[in-house]
Amino acid sequence: MDSTLERAAELLARARFPLFGGLFTDIDGATAALALAEKLGGVVDHAASSGPLRAARVMRETGATPASYGEVRNRADTIVVIGKSPLARDPELLAKLFPGKPGLPRPGKNKRELMLLGLDKPSASKIPKGVPTTAINGKESLPALVALLAAATREGRFEVRDKALCKALDAAGARLRDSAFAVFVYDPAELDEPVLHTVLEIVRGLVKTTRAATFSLASPGNGDGVNLCATWTCGLPVRTSFARKVPENNLWAYETGRLLKSGEADALVWIDALEGEPAERPKDAPKGMPTIVLTSKAAKAGRGDIVIEVGCAGEDHDAALYLPPIAGIGVVKAAKPNKDNPTVADVLNRIAELIDSKGPGKKGAA
Amino acid sequence: MLIQLKGGRVIDPVNNRDGVGDVFIENGRIVGNTEGRTPDEVHDVTGKIVMAGAIDVHSHIAGTNVTLGRQLMPELPMLAAEGGQPIVPSPAALGSYATGIRYAEMGYTTVIEPAMIPTHAIEAQTELAAIPIIDTAGLVILGNDDYTLELLRGGRTKSDELKDYVAWTLSHSKAIGLKVINAGGSEAFKFNARTFDLDEEVPDYGVTSRGIVDAMQKAVADLGVPHPPHVHCNNLGIAGNVETAVATLEATQGLPIHFAHIQFYGYGDEGEKGFSSGAARLMEAVNKHKNATVDVGQVMFGQTITVSGDILRQFDGRRAASPKKWALNQGDGNGTGVVPYHYKSKSFVNAMQWAIGLEIFLLAEDPWRVLFSTDHPNGALFVRYPEIMHLLMDKNERARWLDGVPEAARQHSNLAEITRELTLSELAVITRGAPAKLLGLTDRGHLGAGAIADVAVYTEQKNKTKMFSAADLVFKSGNLVVRKGKVVRVTWGRCYHVEPGFDAQIEKRVKAYYDRYFGADPSWFGVTDAITHRPDRFATIPCAS
Repeated sequence: MDSTLERAAELLARARFPLFGGLFTDIDGATAALALAEKLGGVVDHAASSGPLRAARVMRETGATPASYGEVRNRADTIVVIGKSPLARDPELLAKLFPGKPGLPRPGKNKRELMLLGLDKPSASKIPKGVPTTAINGKESLPALVALLAAATREGRFEVRDKALCKALDAAGARLRDSAFAVFVYDPAELDEPVLHTVLEIVRGLVKTTRAATFSLASPGNGDGVNLCATWTCGLPVRTSFARKVPENNLWAYETGRLLKSGEADALVWIDALEGEPAERPKDAPKGMPTIVLTSKAAKAGRGDIVIEVGCAGEDHDAALYLPPIAGIGVVKAAKPNKDNPTVADVLNRIAELIDSKGPGKKGAA
Repeated sequence: MLIQLKGGRVIDPVNNRDGVGDVFIENGRIVGNTEGRTPDEVHDVTGKIVMAGAIDVHSHIAGTNVTLGRQLMPELPMLAAEGGQPIVPSPAALGSYATGIRYAEMGYTTVIEPAMIPTHAIEAQTELAAIPIIDTAGLVILGNDDYTLELLRGGRTKSDELKDYVAWTLSHSKAIGLKVINAGGSEAFKFNARTFDLDEEVPDYGVTSRGIVDAMQKAVADLGVPHPPHVHCNNLGIAGNVETAVATLEATQGLPIHFAHIQFYGYGDEGEKGFSSGAARLMEAVNKHKNATVDVGQVMFGQTITVSGDILRQFDGRRAASPKKWALNQGDGNGTGVVPYHYKSKSFVNAMQWAIGLEIFLLAEDPWRVLFSTDHPNGALFVRYPEIMHLLMDKNERARWLDGVPEAARQHSNLAEITRELTLSELAVITRGAPAKLLGLTDRGHLGAGAIADVAVYTEQKNKTKMFSAADLVFKSGNLVVRKGKVVRVTWGRCYHVEPGFDAQIEKRVKAYYDRYFGADPSWFGVTDAITHRPDRFATIPCAS
């Protein structure tokens, strides 16, 4: 094993701007990747980061009003699901948010209600029993529907030809104003930045008199956990470069696909060590890009890639991961403990030691 | 290896020491009698001040709330640096790593994170473990969670179960003590309350804020946890709130209690602006209630961010956000509000807040009960501590600052009339001896034989800002980590916590509760020794019972 790691260490020690991509890993793995990127003046990105990073930028510009899963499930009287992605990504979502038994004490006397915006009403079997459900859909695009709902919520003027839609929007606006705690559920990967701003503005309008919040679907591959870890480490989420004295975050410049295609990144460390769908690796990287793959899956390695098999976090070894039910980082015990392979953190920390043993690191961030 | 710090002025009020002498270190501890032995390493500290490493009893340095602030405002260090604050203009300057480095450079060796969310204890503890050099500990928040409120429903306290639940929560999160933030207020906010007073009832549960604090005080006392409940009162930041603080103090019935950042409760509502100093009234009550300790939460002018589990207060505070953005995390239990804020010397209210904090420090009869803090980052970033020490120790420096605040603020505060200057010994009490005593960390905060060898050496100078910004030498557990104000060696500290016993039944009940209401299992957020991969990371301090 050490000879493979030595080759990997040599490759990285030579690199000017190594990219740590994929990052489907646990908190330990993310910590080790961030430390190595910092040491080498490299860059970090996560393979499912587009949506969460848009949300992060909205937050940096104007703020956020998230509610925890527990609060939504127990106390929301109106749940508005925006777009198709939430139910497509988590078919159990409605059952989780409407558990069908009394929850914790909640404000108001409204019956709990479901609104679907930008998708048709699913078959009755998919809607939790006894939950009044309205679907607001039509020929309008999802961004237009969100904007129309924003107007309806404020009793503002809006015009749509579709009379049924118009009526549904008016009713939805009235219900939201009357809600004790309305929560807007979405997948940030499905919404563009202006739409995220509009949803936030609906919430900010409502909270002047009542309560409201957003509930964002967690991103795949422990994206939320990796971003939190990057933030406490260097003050910034992923797509951050450590090439200069001060770490720099740029959603466009430090995106994996662009960094590879442009040749700005001259080495790739691809990390994919979680259960579930694999991290999607960009296909148009230049041929011969020096690559180290840390994977717990049957890898489709390129020729010349250095492949290091690692344990699957939460499966082979205990792992700290972002867990939606607690809206935070928790520990998942290994489902089938197996120490045959090292963890991502083991490998990256060992590579860092090997680089150190051959000479001082390039730099660290302020 | 025997290390000698030779010929410095040793300030160690715990051991009644203030005079020129030596301090010896061996195997990470202070040693007493070294007669006849030749030290292996001698540091000549003649003309310098030798103190124990400083201890910060209340500083938000880790966990979900702090990281929410980092997410909202990565530009904070850059904006703060523009105002001349001593901070590197980099988003990383308030990251975990830089936090430990900067604290160590100032001579701090132990820092308490005062607001761990029970379900997010793994993140808080992982972040704490990423902070180098200093030792840490966390306080875990209860009092707005539905489990507690159910046990107190209608004012009929299920004391035994509450005691077990508190013990279980402390153990499960590896906390050193219990934090109560606007007891019942966050739950009331969930029912759309926008204010919440000491004697108001929590909707549905019918228990008052007073009732919650009272029950928590009894539970913690019964468990023998050394650190008393660490309480953030109702009505923070509101004109006239000194009455709430005094009423809360009077409600404590002689049981030990710690009030956090009381500067934010030192407000009267007199004068044409309806805002005045309540410091004298507050300190009269603090001086009288000897069961109570407080930390001050000093304000300093400049850019910062406010981070608090008092979501009700933060929701109200959003209107004053500067820059104009805010985040409200409507989470389980308390939730969090994060609101950027710029304290301005030209603002009457901000200048009053600044003056009231200093008045509180200077009106304290017993420095053992009035501890140093800025409630970092709420009153000021911790990098500002040396300036505050300067203000406390030098009345001319205060006069200079007072010249820069609005005339009305000078008129409405009593600061100009106070001539007291804290001595080095008193400073050592409020930054070393008293925090250690309050936390039950009796192995530090002093330089007596057997104490952990956390030592800070400063060059005595008139400019106390300079003096305390950069320690000449800092030893952490006997290791030389800082020289001439710069870290020369990065070590990793320990995390202190209590493990009061509890009836195992509580585990089953809590498990059923999380399963039913959250679809979650408490084992997911239980902090174990394994989470940091450092075998000696956690250390238990004993409880009295």
